[in-house]
Amino acid sequence: MALKVDYFVKETGRNLFRNPWLTIATVVTVFVAILLVGVSLLVRSGVQNATARWQGGIEFIVFMNPEATPDQIDSVARDLSENPQVETAEFKDKDQSYAEFLELFADTPEFTANITPDVLPTSFNVKPSRVDPELIEGLVLQFAEKPGVREVVAASQAIREIKSLSDGLSTGILAAALLLTLAAVVLIGNTIQTAIFARRREIEVMKLVGATNWFIRVPFMLEGILQGVVGAIAGIGGVYVVNGIVERRVQQADALSLLSSFVIKSEDVFTISIFLLGGGVLMAAIASAIAVTFYVKV
Amino acid sequence: MIKLDKVTKVYKGEVVALRDAEVDIQKGEFVFLVGASGSGKSTMLRLMNKEESPEKGRIWVAGKDIAELSSWKVPYLRRNIGTVFQDFKLLPNKTVQENVAFALEVIGRPRHVIKSQVPAILELVGLAKKLERYPHELSGGEQQRVSIARAFVNRPLILLADEPTGNLDPDTSLGIMKLLDRINRTGTTVVMASHDRGIVDTMRRRVIELDRGVIVRDQARGVYE
Repeated sequence: MALKVDYFVKETGRNLFRNPWLTIATVVTVFVAILLVGVSLLVRSGVQNATARWQGGIEFIVFMNPEATPDQIDSVARDLSENPQVETAEFKDKDQSYAEFLELFADTPEFTANITPDVLPTSFNVKPSRVDPELIEGLVLQFAEKPGVREVVAASQAIREIKSLSDGLSTGILAAALLLTLAAVVLIGNTIQTAIFARRREIEVMKLVGATNWFIRVPFMLEGILQGVVGAIAGIGGVYVVNGIVERRVQQADALSLLSSFVIKSEDVFTISIFLLGGGVLMAAIASAIAVTFYVKV
Repeated sequence: MIKLDKVTKVYKGEVVALRDAEVDIQKGEFVFLVGASGSGKSTMLRLMNKEESPEKGRIWVAGKDIAELSSWKVPYLRRNIGTVFQDFKLLPNKTVQENVAFALEVIGRPRHVIKSQVPAILELVGLAKKLERYPHELSGGEQQRVSIARAFVNRPLILLADEPTGNLDPDTSLGIMKLLDRINRTGTTVVMASHDRGIVDTMRRRVIELDRGVIVRDQARGVYE
């Protein structure tokens, strides 16, 4: 068994260095494809965090005073449910607000440490019957006047635009990444084909003396997978670099601006990296398997 | 050991390379396949180690019907069959002993087996002093000895030789034939395609003659024609 490992390592290495430029082209293509997929996932996750409150058609939030009486809260709830222009109004108690708050500021523990559930306001997340700026403005003014209400915050036009822009952006990036992945698959297949051609005499002898198909194929497959792994790791490095740049920008941004809530949680970046590594390796393995099955037959 | 039953091989749907061939070769036999170029000698050899599959008929090798053999089992069939060619098929970037060791390496033989078998087989073929040479530093006869060593190092039951003396002068050819004869005497079945009249006549072994894909003669202790 030890001998086989030696053999596979030796042969894979020889294949990789036989045609360094093709190897480099393949690795770079995998790298760019992985990086693009990663960035698109980052954008998606950031926008989702920044606009977490405004998912599912919620257009404005009625924040109650933390010391509002139960009667005041009930009255606002009744008014909301009786208003024909309101489709749904979801009540959030202090604990739910606290959970949401922790989620939103997960990356700044020094900030969340000083906050307890009882200082947070309860709120109603409201979905109006129509997305019509005038109607929403009217509702906002109407509910801001009610007793016990501290503030009514509406999703701004900016948020709506950011959501649709980021959807378009990440879809575009994903499409480009898909094309590049296709190119990477073709290139990996091509490097393997070249390696197989360069070694056709050896392969002929191997078949004649009874080497199994998989024994012949493994070094070529390892070559392709290794290219995928190296490209994926470089791509993940790139994702971390991009994330670092974004984080610096976010920290410098005015705390009130929308950008300040564009946080990508470090656990999200980690999940994305694992996904990218797995995807890259899987893609390379499939490309290699197809190429060797196609070019090495008994 | 090898049996062909009404075997027909057609290339590209029109060229009949072999028609209704009936052959029965016993263990330990030495058989010449003779005939002009294109008479079907090579095709017959290629059918025996399943490099080709017949259109019709059945082929048994070492008691197995190889037409029924699934493709993943073919390598194990070939481990029992050594092959030698006119053009040697040595790997130019490997030394003599690396060429022979390669045949054992790629079927996963352990290192200690390789270490003991390779020098022993090269001693047998008379190349004990040239282990570290490269193929281009050897004469044609020596290269063919390396290729025979490679084919025989795994002690196969059968040795298939396709014109092994085709590129060699008569004296060298005789040396190769002595080597093949010696291998045959260890109990290995040898099937050799040849159109070298001198050699076939000298050896006086079983001769199967092919003419345009048809067996026209099968004679024990035969001559070329």
